[in-house]
Amino acid sequence: MSSREIYLDYAATAPLDPQVAAAMYECMTSEHGNPSSSHAAGRRARALVEAARAAVGARVGAPSECLIFTSGATESNNLALSGVLRRSRNRRVHLVTSRIEHKSVLDVARMLEASGVAVTYVPATEGGWIEPGRVVEAIDADTQLVSIMHVNNETGVIQDIETIGEACRARGVLFHVDAAQGVGKLPLTLATAPIDLCSLTAHKVCGPKGVGALYVAPRVTLVPQLHGGEQERSLRAGTLATHQIVGMGKAYELADPVREAPRLAALRDRLWRELGAIDGVRQNGDPARRAAHVLNVAFRGVDGESLRYALRGVCVSAGSACAADSPEASHVLTGMGLSDVLAGGALRFSVGRFTTEDEVVSAAARVAAAVALLRSLARNAPAWCSA
Amino acid sequence: MEYSLAVERHFAAPKKARELPAGMAGLVAGEAEDRTLHVWVRFQLQIVDGVVAAAGFQAFGCPHTVAAASVVAEWLEGRLVDAARKLDVKTVCAELEVPTEKLGKLLRIEDAVAACWRSEQ
Repeated sequence: MSSREIYLDYAATAPLDPQVAAAMYECMTSEHGNPSSSHAAGRRARALVEAARAAVGARVGAPSECLIFTSGATESNNLALSGVLRRSRNRRVHLVTSRIEHKSVLDVARMLEASGVAVTYVPATEGGWIEPGRVVEAIDADTQLVSIMHVNNETGVIQDIETIGEACRARGVLFHVDAAQGVGKLPLTLATAPIDLCSLTAHKVCGPKGVGALYVAPRVTLVPQLHGGEQERSLRAGTLATHQIVGMGKAYELADPVREAPRLAALRDRLWRELGAIDGVRQNGDPARRAAHVLNVAFRGVDGESLRYALRGVCVSAGSACAADSPEASHVLTGMGLSDVLAGGALRFSVGRFTTEDEVVSAAARVAAAVALLRSLARNAPAWCSA
Repeated sequence: MEYSLAVERHFAAPKKARELPAGMAGLVAGEAEDRTLHVWVRFQLQIVDGVVAAAGFQAFGCPHTVAAASVVAEWLEGRLVDAARKLDVKTVCAELEVPTEKLGKLLRIEDAVAACWRSEQ
Protein backbone atom coordinates (compact mmCIF):
# COMPACT_ATOMS: atom_id res chain seq x y z
CA MET A 1 0.00 0.00 0.00
CA SER A 2 1.56 3.31 -1.04
CA SER A 3 1.70 6.14 1.50
CA ARG A 4 -0.76 8.18 -0.56
CA GLU A 5 -3.34 5.44 -0.89
CA ILE A 6 -6.41 5.71 1.31
CA TYR A 7 -8.33 2.51 1.91
CA LEU A 8 -12.06 3.08 2.44
CA ASP A 9 -13.40 -0.23 1.21
CA TYR A 10 -13.78 -2.28 4.39
CA ALA A 11 -17.16 -3.56 3.21
CA ALA A 12 -15.33 -5.28 0.36
CA THR A 13 -12.65 -6.68 2.61
CA ALA A 14 -10.63 -5.50 5.57
CA PRO A 15 -6.88 -5.59 6.17
CA LEU A 16 -5.69 -8.47 8.29
CA ASP A 17 -5.31 -7.46 11.94
CA PRO A 18 -1.70 -8.08 13.07
CA GLN A 19 -3.00 -10.08 16.03
CA VAL A 20 -4.89 -12.32 13.62
CA ALA A 21 -1.82 -12.70 11.41
CA ALA A 22 0.26 -13.66 14.48
CA ALA A 23 -2.25 -16.32 15.53
CA MET A 24 -2.33 -17.74 12.01
CA TYR A 25 1.44 -17.73 11.71
CA GLU A 26 1.77 -19.55 14.99
CA CYS A 27 -0.69 -22.16 13.79
CA MET A 28 0.90 -22.59 10.38
CA THR A 29 4.39 -22.99 11.76
CA SER A 30 3.66 -25.11 14.79
CA GLU A 31 0.58 -27.20 14.10
CA HIS A 32 0.38 -29.23 10.91
CA GLY A 33 -1.98 -32.00 11.97
CA ASN A 34 -5.24 -32.78 10.29
CA PRO A 35 -8.02 -31.94 12.76
CA SER A 36 -9.81 -35.14 11.74
CA SER A 37 -6.85 -37.36 12.69
CA SER A 38 -6.96 -39.16 16.00
CA HIS A 39 -3.25 -38.97 16.79
CA ALA A 40 -1.69 -36.28 18.99
CA ALA A 41 -0.98 -33.78 16.19
CA GLY A 42 -4.52 -34.17 14.93
CA ARG A 43 -5.96 -33.71 18.39
CA ARG A 44 -3.97 -30.50 18.89
CA ALA A 45 -5.26 -29.16 15.56
CA ARG A 46 -8.80 -30.20 16.52
CA ALA A 47 -8.42 -28.29 19.79
CA LEU A 48 -7.44 -25.16 17.87
CA VAL A 49 -10.44 -25.53 15.59
CA GLU A 50 -12.79 -25.98 18.52
CA ALA A 51 -11.32 -22.99 20.35
CA ALA A 52 -11.91 -20.90 17.25
CA ARG A 53 -15.43 -22.24 16.93
CA ALA A 54 -16.07 -21.20 20.52
CA ALA A 55 -14.70 -17.72 19.83
CA VAL A 56 -16.94 -17.30 16.80
CA GLY A 57 -19.87 -18.64 18.79
CA ALA A 58 -19.19 -16.21 21.61
CA ARG A 59 -19.21 -13.24 19.22
CA VAL A 60 -22.51 -14.17 17.57
CA GLY A 61 -24.19 -15.62 20.66
CA ALA A 62 -24.43 -19.14 19.31
CA PRO A 63 -23.56 -22.54 20.78
CA SER A 64 -20.36 -23.54 19.05
CA GLU A 65 -21.81 -26.91 18.02
CA CYS A 66 -24.24 -25.00 15.77
CA LEU A 67 -21.45 -23.54 13.64
CA ILE A 68 -20.19 -25.16 10.43
CA PHE A 69 -16.94 -23.81 9.01
CA THR A 70 -17.03 -23.00 5.30
CA SER A 71 -14.87 -21.12 2.80
CA GLY A 72 -16.81 -17.89 3.39
CA ALA A 73 -20.24 -16.30 3.32
CA THR A 74 -20.77 -17.15 -0.35
CA GLU A 75 -20.44 -20.86 0.39
CA SER A 76 -22.54 -20.45 3.52
CA ASN A 77 -25.30 -18.78 1.50
CA ASN A 78 -25.14 -21.56 -1.08
CA LEU A 79 -25.34 -24.22 1.62
CA ALA A 80 -28.20 -22.50 3.42
CA LEU A 81 -30.40 -21.97 0.38
CA SER A 82 -29.65 -25.13 -1.56
CA GLY A 83 -29.38 -27.18 1.62
CA VAL A 84 -32.94 -26.31 2.62
CA LEU A 85 -34.64 -26.10 -0.75
CA ARG A 86 -33.20 -29.29 -2.15
CA ARG A 87 -34.52 -31.35 0.76
CA SER A 88 -37.90 -31.74 -0.87
CA ARG A 89 -38.49 -33.59 -4.11
CA ASN A 90 -41.68 -33.88 -6.15
CA ARG A 91 -43.50 -31.01 -4.51
CA ARG A 92 -43.64 -27.26 -4.95
CA VAL A 93 -41.24 -25.39 -2.72
CA HIS A 94 -41.02 -21.64 -2.36
CA LEU A 95 -38.27 -19.24 -1.36
CA VAL A 96 -38.80 -15.63 -0.31
CA THR A 97 -35.87 -13.27 -0.59
CA SER A 98 -35.32 -9.63 -1.57
CA ARG A 99 -34.16 -7.86 -4.71
CA ILE A 100 -31.24 -6.27 -2.88
CA GLU A 101 -29.53 -9.38 -1.56
CA HIS A 102 -25.91 -10.13 -2.31
CA LYS A 103 -25.22 -11.96 -5.56
CA SER A 104 -24.34 -15.08 -3.60
CA VAL A 105 -27.99 -15.27 -2.57
CA LEU A 106 -29.59 -13.95 -5.76
CA ASP A 107 -27.58 -16.16 -8.09
CA VAL A 108 -28.39 -19.24 -6.00
CA ALA A 109 -32.06 -18.23 -5.99
CA ARG A 110 -32.02 -17.94 -9.78
CA MET A 111 -30.30 -21.31 -10.09
CA LEU A 112 -32.90 -22.87 -7.81
CA GLU A 113 -35.65 -21.15 -9.78
CA ALA A 114 -34.30 -22.74 -12.95
CA SER A 115 -34.58 -26.13 -11.25
CA GLY A 116 -38.23 -25.59 -10.33
CA VAL A 117 -38.18 -23.73 -7.01
CA ALA A 118 -40.67 -20.86 -6.86
CA VAL A 119 -38.99 -17.63 -5.76
CA THR A 120 -40.46 -14.30 -4.68
CA TYR A 121 -38.13 -11.30 -4.75
CA VAL A 122 -39.46 -8.65 -2.38
CA PRO A 123 -38.64 -5.06 -3.46
CA ALA A 124 -36.89 -2.54 -1.24
CA THR A 125 -38.15 0.89 -0.35
CA GLU A 126 -36.41 3.99 -1.74
CA GLY A 127 -34.44 4.00 1.50
CA GLY A 128 -33.14 0.50 0.82
CA TRP A 129 -35.24 -1.12 3.52
CA ILE A 130 -37.15 -4.37 3.24
CA GLU A 131 -40.54 -3.86 4.84
CA PRO A 132 -41.25 -6.90 7.02
CA GLY A 133 -44.91 -6.76 5.98
CA ARG A 134 -43.95 -7.29 2.34
CA VAL A 135 -41.96 -10.36 3.30
CA VAL A 136 -44.84 -11.77 5.32
CA GLU A 137 -47.26 -11.14 2.44
CA ALA A 138 -45.01 -13.17 0.17
CA ILE A 139 -45.04 -16.26 2.41
CA ASP A 140 -47.41 -18.99 1.22
CA ALA A 141 -48.22 -22.56 2.20
CA ASP A 142 -45.23 -23.89 0.23
CA THR A 143 -42.65 -21.44 1.57
CA GLN A 144 -39.79 -23.32 3.16
CA LEU A 145 -37.26 -20.55 3.52
CA VAL A 146 -37.01 -16.78 3.82
CA SER A 147 -33.55 -15.28 3.21
CA ILE A 148 -32.92 -11.63 4.10
CA MET A 149 -29.56 -10.03 4.77
CA HIS A 150 -28.78 -8.33 8.08
CA VAL A 151 -26.89 -5.31 6.70
CA ASN A 152 -26.96 -4.43 3.03
CA ASN A 153 -23.45 -4.59 1.61
CA GLU A 154 -23.90 -1.55 -0.64
CA THR A 155 -25.92 0.88 1.44
CA GLY A 156 -25.29 -0.35 4.98
CA VAL A 157 -29.04 -0.36 5.67
CA ILE A 158 -29.95 -2.64 8.59
CA GLN A 159 -32.90 -4.90 7.93
CA ASP A 160 -35.45 -5.77 10.60
CA ILE A 161 -34.44 -9.41 10.96
CA GLU A 162 -36.09 -9.70 14.36
CA THR A 163 -39.58 -8.92 13.06
CA ILE A 164 -39.14 -10.96 9.89
CA GLY A 165 -37.76 -13.88 11.88
CA GLU A 166 -40.65 -13.82 14.36
CA ALA A 167 -43.12 -13.86 11.47
CA CYS A 168 -41.32 -16.80 9.88
CA ARG A 169 -41.26 -18.70 13.16
CA ALA A 170 -44.99 -18.13 13.69
CA ARG A 171 -45.62 -19.68 10.26
CA GLY A 172 -43.19 -22.58 10.58
CA VAL A 173 -40.90 -21.19 7.87
CA LEU A 174 -37.12 -21.32 8.20
CA PHE A 175 -35.31 -17.97 8.25
CA HIS A 176 -31.80 -17.45 6.85
CA VAL A 177 -29.78 -14.28 7.44
CA ASP A 178 -26.66 -13.30 5.51
CA ALA A 179 -24.78 -11.49 8.29
CA ALA A 180 -21.50 -10.96 6.43
CA GLN A 181 -21.68 -7.17 6.82
CA GLY A 182 -23.24 -7.05 10.27
CA VAL A 183 -20.74 -8.90 12.41
CA GLY A 184 -18.51 -6.62 14.42
CA LYS A 185 -20.77 -3.65 13.77
CA LEU A 186 -23.98 -4.86 15.40
CA PRO A 187 -24.49 -7.28 18.27
CA LEU A 188 -25.95 -10.67 17.38
CA THR A 189 -27.36 -13.30 19.71
CA LEU A 190 -28.27 -16.14 17.43
CA ALA A 191 -29.23 -18.56 20.21
CA THR A 192 -32.21 -16.43 21.17
CA ALA A 193 -32.92 -14.69 17.85
CA PRO A 194 -35.62 -16.09 15.56
CA ILE A 195 -32.97 -17.12 13.07
CA ASP A 196 -32.43 -20.65 11.80
CA LEU A 197 -29.47 -20.17 9.51
CA CYS A 198 -26.89 -17.39 9.49
CA SER A 199 -23.96 -16.85 7.12
CA LEU A 200 -20.73 -15.45 8.54
CA THR A 201 -17.36 -14.51 7.11
CA ALA A 202 -13.96 -13.62 8.54
CA HIS A 203 -12.45 -11.15 6.10
CA LYS A 204 -14.90 -8.30 6.72
CA VAL A 205 -13.69 -8.08 10.32
CA CYS A 206 -9.93 -8.04 9.72
CA GLY A 207 -9.72 -11.81 9.49
CA PRO A 208 -8.39 -13.93 6.64
CA LYS A 209 -10.14 -14.37 3.31
CA GLY A 210 -11.33 -17.85 2.42
CA VAL A 211 -13.02 -18.83 5.66
CA GLY A 212 -16.50 -18.36 7.03
CA ALA A 213 -19.20 -20.24 8.85
CA LEU A 214 -22.84 -21.14 8.71
CA TYR A 215 -24.91 -21.12 11.88
CA VAL A 216 -27.41 -23.97 11.76
CA ALA A 217 -29.94 -23.90 14.57
CA PRO A 218 -30.70 -27.17 16.39
CA ARG A 219 -33.21 -29.40 14.58
CA VAL A 220 -32.64 -27.69 11.20
CA THR A 221 -31.66 -30.26 8.59
CA LEU A 222 -29.73 -29.48 5.42
CA VAL A 223 -28.73 -31.40 2.34
CA PRO A 224 -24.92 -31.11 2.08
CA GLN A 225 -23.57 -29.46 -1.04
CA LEU A 226 -20.03 -30.82 -0.82
CA HIS A 227 -19.38 -34.53 -0.59
CA GLY A 228 -16.28 -36.54 0.22
CA GLY A 229 -15.89 -36.62 3.97
CA GLU A 230 -17.71 -36.43 7.27
CA GLN A 231 -16.23 -33.17 8.50
CA GLU A 232 -18.49 -30.56 10.05
CA ARG A 233 -21.26 -32.96 11.00
CA SER A 234 -21.20 -34.32 7.43
CA LEU A 235 -22.56 -30.99 6.21
CA ARG A 236 -19.35 -29.73 4.65
CA ALA A 237 -16.81 -32.26 3.42
CA GLY A 238 -13.14 -31.32 3.13
CA THR A 239 -10.08 -31.08 5.35
CA LEU A 240 -10.51 -28.16 7.70
CA ALA A 241 -8.19 -25.21 7.01
CA THR A 242 -6.91 -24.99 10.56
CA HIS A 243 -4.89 -21.78 10.21
CA GLN A 244 -7.78 -20.01 8.46
CA ILE A 245 -10.19 -21.11 11.14
CA VAL A 246 -7.78 -19.98 13.87
CA GLY A 247 -7.62 -16.61 12.11
CA MET A 248 -11.40 -16.38 12.00
CA GLY A 249 -11.59 -17.21 15.69
CA LYS A 250 -9.10 -14.47 16.56
CA ALA A 251 -10.83 -11.97 14.27
CA TYR A 252 -14.19 -12.64 15.90
CA GLU A 253 -12.65 -12.35 19.35
CA LEU A 254 -11.45 -8.85 18.40
CA ALA A 255 -14.57 -7.72 16.49
CA ASP A 256 -16.44 -6.11 19.35
CA PRO A 257 -19.28 -3.89 18.06
CA VAL A 258 -19.65 -2.13 21.39
CA ARG A 259 -16.06 -0.91 21.15
CA GLU A 260 -15.79 -0.38 17.39
CA ALA A 261 -19.16 0.81 16.12
CA PRO A 262 -19.19 4.26 17.79
CA ARG A 263 -15.75 5.08 16.40
CA LEU A 264 -16.76 3.88 12.92
CA ALA A 265 -19.99 5.88 13.03
CA ALA A 266 -18.04 9.01 13.98
CA LEU A 267 -15.68 8.50 11.03
CA ARG A 268 -18.57 7.85 8.65
CA ASP A 269 -20.41 10.95 9.87
CA ARG A 270 -17.27 13.06 9.51
CA LEU A 271 -16.90 11.80 5.95
CA TRP A 272 -20.50 12.75 5.21
CA ARG A 273 -20.04 16.23 6.69
CA GLU A 274 -17.23 16.75 4.19
CA LEU A 275 -18.94 15.14 1.19
CA GLY A 276 -22.31 16.66 1.96
CA ALA A 277 -20.88 20.08 1.11
CA ILE A 278 -20.54 19.07 -2.54
CA ASP A 279 -23.43 20.25 -4.74
CA GLY A 280 -25.70 17.55 -6.12
CA VAL A 281 -24.66 14.82 -3.71
CA ARG A 282 -27.12 12.45 -2.07
CA GLN A 283 -26.88 9.61 0.42
CA ASN A 284 -28.26 6.28 -0.71
CA GLY A 285 -29.93 4.29 2.02
CA ASP A 286 -31.97 5.51 4.94
CA PRO A 287 -29.47 7.19 7.33
CA ALA A 288 -31.69 6.31 10.28
CA ARG A 289 -31.34 2.59 9.61
CA ARG A 290 -27.70 2.34 8.66
CA ALA A 291 -24.80 0.37 10.09
CA ALA A 292 -21.80 2.32 11.35
CA HIS A 293 -19.27 1.56 8.66
CA VAL A 294 -20.94 2.27 5.28
CA LEU A 295 -21.71 5.50 3.46
CA ASN A 296 -23.10 5.23 -0.06
CA VAL A 297 -23.32 8.47 -1.99
CA ALA A 298 -24.19 9.47 -5.54
CA PHE A 299 -23.07 12.57 -7.38
CA ARG A 300 -25.32 14.08 -10.01
CA GLY A 301 -23.75 14.96 -13.35
CA VAL A 302 -20.72 12.73 -12.95
CA ASP A 303 -19.96 9.50 -14.78
CA GLY A 304 -19.23 6.78 -12.25
CA GLU A 305 -16.39 5.10 -14.10
CA SER A 306 -14.61 8.39 -14.64
CA LEU A 307 -15.12 9.35 -11.00
CA ARG A 308 -13.62 6.09 -9.76
CA TYR A 309 -10.74 6.46 -12.20
CA ALA A 310 -10.10 10.01 -11.06
CA LEU A 311 -9.96 8.70 -7.49
CA ARG A 312 -7.35 6.04 -8.10
CA GLY A 313 -5.56 6.77 -4.84
CA VAL A 314 -8.75 6.35 -2.82
CA CYS A 315 -9.92 2.75 -2.60
CA VAL A 316 -13.72 2.76 -2.72
CA SER A 317 -16.29 0.65 -4.56
CA ALA A 318 -19.03 1.45 -7.03
CA GLY A 319 -21.19 -1.05 -5.20
CA SER A 320 -20.50 -4.64 -4.35
CA ALA A 321 -16.89 -5.63 -4.99
CA CYS A 322 -18.29 -8.99 -6.06
CA ALA A 323 -19.86 -7.27 -9.08
CA ALA A 324 -17.10 -4.78 -9.75
CA ASP A 325 -16.39 -6.10 -13.24
CA SER A 326 -20.00 -5.76 -14.31
CA PRO A 327 -20.76 -2.72 -16.52
CA GLU A 328 -24.32 -2.65 -15.20
CA ALA A 329 -25.42 -0.24 -12.51
CA SER A 330 -25.87 -1.67 -9.01
CA HIS A 331 -29.00 -3.81 -8.76
CA VAL A 332 -29.34 -2.60 -5.18
CA LEU A 333 -29.42 1.09 -6.07
CA THR A 334 -31.62 0.70 -9.13
CA GLY A 335 -33.85 -1.52 -6.98
CA MET A 336 -34.18 1.48 -4.66
CA GLY A 337 -35.38 3.64 -7.55
CA LEU A 338 -32.17 5.36 -8.67
CA SER A 339 -31.69 5.90 -12.41
CA ASP A 340 -28.96 3.88 -14.13
CA VAL A 341 -26.88 7.04 -14.54
CA LEU A 342 -27.14 8.13 -10.92
CA ALA A 343 -26.59 4.59 -9.62
CA GLY A 344 -23.58 4.35 -11.92
CA GLY A 345 -22.14 7.47 -10.31
CA ALA A 346 -22.49 6.15 -6.78
CA LEU A 347 -19.57 5.41 -4.51
CA ARG A 348 -19.58 3.17 -1.47
CA PHE A 349 -17.22 4.33 1.24
CA SER A 350 -16.67 1.95 4.12
CA VAL A 351 -14.49 2.63 7.12
CA GLY A 352 -12.88 0.17 9.48
CA ARG A 353 -10.52 -0.56 12.32
CA PHE A 354 -7.48 1.18 10.86
CA THR A 355 -9.20 4.17 9.23
CA THR A 356 -8.20 7.57 10.58
CA GLU A 357 -10.00 10.91 10.60
CA ASP A 358 -7.21 12.43 8.49
CA GLU A 359 -7.86 9.78 5.87
CA VAL A 360 -11.57 10.47 5.57
CA VAL A 361 -11.00 14.23 5.38
CA SER A 362 -8.31 13.82 2.75
CA ALA A 363 -10.44 11.36 0.76
CA ALA A 364 -13.37 13.78 0.79
CA ALA A 365 -11.16 16.57 -0.53
CA ARG A 366 -9.99 14.34 -3.37
CA VAL A 367 -13.59 13.40 -4.18
CA ALA A 368 -14.63 17.06 -4.25
CA ALA A 369 -11.79 17.90 -6.64
CA ALA A 370 -12.61 14.95 -8.93
CA VAL A 371 -16.31 15.81 -9.04
CA ALA A 372 -15.53 19.45 -9.85
CA LEU A 373 -13.16 18.42 -12.64
CA LEU A 374 -15.62 16.02 -14.24
CA ARG A 375 -18.49 18.49 -14.01
CA SER A 376 -16.34 21.13 -15.66
CA LEU A 377 -15.87 18.75 -18.60
CA ALA A 378 -19.63 18.33 -18.99
CA ARG A 379 -20.87 21.82 -18.20
CA ASN A 380 -23.56 21.86 -20.88
CA ALA A 381 -24.54 18.20 -20.65
CA PRO A 382 -28.23 17.38 -21.06
CA ALA A 383 -30.47 16.86 -18.06
CA TRP A 384 -30.38 13.04 -18.21
CA CYS A 385 -26.69 13.11 -17.25
CA SER A 386 -27.78 14.48 -13.86
CA ALA A 387 -31.06 12.64 -13.46
CA MET B 1 -10.93 -1.94 -16.12
CA GLU B 2 -7.41 -1.32 -17.33
CA TYR B 3 -6.45 1.96 -19.00
CA SER B 4 -3.45 2.66 -21.24
CA LEU B 5 -0.87 5.28 -20.39
CA ALA B 6 -2.22 7.39 -23.26
CA VAL B 7 -5.71 7.31 -21.72
CA GLU B 8 -4.23 8.18 -18.35
CA ARG B 9 -2.35 11.14 -19.81
CA HIS B 10 -5.30 12.58 -21.71
CA PHE B 11 -7.77 11.97 -18.87
CA ALA B 12 -5.51 13.68 -16.33
CA ALA B 13 -5.06 16.74 -18.54
CA PRO B 14 -7.59 16.78 -21.40
CA LYS B 15 -6.55 18.91 -24.38
CA LYS B 16 -9.05 21.48 -25.66
CA ALA B 17 -11.61 20.71 -22.95
CA ARG B 18 -13.22 24.11 -23.18
CA GLU B 19 -16.15 26.10 -24.43
CA LEU B 20 -15.35 28.49 -27.28
CA PRO B 21 -16.94 31.96 -27.00
CA ALA B 22 -20.43 32.01 -28.50
CA GLY B 23 -19.84 35.05 -30.73
CA MET B 24 -16.66 33.71 -32.30
CA ALA B 25 -16.60 34.05 -36.11
CA GLY B 26 -16.94 30.79 -38.05
CA LEU B 27 -18.07 28.82 -35.00
CA VAL B 28 -19.93 25.55 -35.56
CA ALA B 29 -21.08 23.09 -32.94
CA GLY B 30 -22.41 19.56 -32.86
CA GLU B 31 -23.25 17.02 -30.24
CA ALA B 32 -24.19 13.36 -29.94
CA GLU B 33 -25.31 11.08 -27.14
CA ASP B 34 -26.35 7.57 -26.26
CA ARG B 35 -28.31 7.47 -23.04
CA THR B 36 -28.13 3.72 -22.78
CA LEU B 37 -24.33 3.90 -22.89
CA HIS B 38 -24.20 6.96 -20.59
CA VAL B 39 -22.26 9.08 -23.06
CA TRP B 40 -22.69 12.64 -24.34
CA VAL B 41 -20.15 14.59 -26.39
CA ARG B 42 -20.22 18.15 -27.71
CA PHE B 43 -17.68 19.65 -30.10
CA GLN B 44 -17.20 23.26 -31.16
CA LEU B 45 -15.01 24.14 -34.11
CA GLN B 46 -13.99 27.51 -35.46
CA ILE B 47 -13.62 27.31 -39.21
CA VAL B 48 -11.54 30.03 -40.85
CA ASP B 49 -10.63 29.88 -44.52
CA GLY B 50 -11.17 26.14 -44.78
CA VAL B 51 -9.08 25.39 -41.71
CA VAL B 52 -10.14 24.30 -38.21
CA ALA B 53 -8.68 27.28 -36.41
CA ALA B 54 -9.84 26.20 -32.95
CA ALA B 55 -11.50 23.17 -31.39
CA GLY B 56 -13.13 22.57 -28.06
CA PHE B 57 -15.05 19.71 -26.52
CA GLN B 58 -17.16 18.78 -23.54
CA ALA B 59 -17.96 15.23 -22.53
CA PHE B 60 -19.93 13.17 -20.06
CA GLY B 61 -18.67 9.62 -20.12
CA CYS B 62 -16.01 7.13 -19.20
CA PRO B 63 -12.26 7.85 -19.13
CA HIS B 64 -11.88 6.42 -22.63
CA THR B 65 -14.50 8.86 -23.93
CA VAL B 66 -12.79 11.85 -22.31
CA ALA B 67 -9.35 10.77 -23.52
CA ALA B 68 -10.55 10.08 -27.06
CA ALA B 69 -12.37 13.42 -27.26
CA SER B 70 -9.14 15.08 -26.13
CA VAL B 71 -7.13 13.30 -28.83
CA VAL B 72 -9.71 14.16 -31.49
CA ALA B 73 -9.92 17.83 -30.51
CA GLU B 74 -6.16 18.12 -30.61
CA TRP B 75 -6.07 16.33 -33.98
CA LEU B 76 -8.74 18.59 -35.48
CA GLU B 77 -7.20 21.92 -34.55
CA GLY B 78 -5.08 23.32 -37.35
CA ARG B 79 -6.25 20.75 -39.87
CA LEU B 80 -7.78 21.53 -43.26
CA VAL B 81 -11.53 20.95 -43.14
CA ASP B 82 -11.35 18.44 -46.00
CA ALA B 83 -8.84 16.39 -44.03
CA ALA B 84 -10.71 16.86 -40.75
CA ARG B 85 -13.85 15.44 -42.31
CA LYS B 86 -12.00 12.14 -42.68
CA LEU B 87 -11.81 11.65 -38.91
CA ASP B 88 -11.84 7.95 -38.06
CA VAL B 89 -12.40 7.33 -34.36
CA LYS B 90 -11.34 3.71 -34.75
CA THR B 91 -7.80 4.93 -35.36
CA VAL B 92 -7.99 6.96 -32.15
CA CYS B 93 -9.28 3.88 -30.31
CA ALA B 94 -6.28 1.91 -31.50
CA GLU B 95 -3.93 4.68 -30.38
CA LEU B 96 -5.51 4.73 -26.93
CA GLU B 97 -5.82 0.92 -26.71
CA VAL B 98 -9.55 1.22 -26.09
CA PRO B 99 -11.31 -2.11 -25.44
CA THR B 100 -13.62 -3.21 -28.24
CA GLU B 101 -16.70 -3.00 -26.03
CA LYS B 102 -16.13 0.75 -25.65
CA LEU B 103 -16.23 1.45 -29.40
CA GLY B 104 -19.97 2.13 -29.31
CA LYS B 105 -19.42 4.99 -26.87
CA LEU B 106 -16.52 6.46 -28.75
CA LEU B 107 -18.34 6.50 -32.07
CA ARG B 108 -20.48 9.24 -30.55
CA ILE B 109 -17.40 11.45 -30.85
CA GLU B 110 -17.40 10.87 -34.58
CA ASP B 111 -21.14 11.64 -34.62
CA ALA B 112 -20.62 14.91 -32.72
CA VAL B 113 -17.92 16.04 -35.13
CA ALA B 114 -20.10 15.04 -38.08
CA ALA B 115 -22.86 17.17 -36.56
CA CYS B 116 -20.44 20.11 -36.64
CA TRP B 117 -19.97 19.67 -40.39
CA ARG B 118 -23.73 19.51 -40.85
CA SER B 119 -24.21 22.74 -38.92
CA GLU B 120 -21.52 24.36 -41.07
CA GLN B 121 -23.71 23.75 -44.12
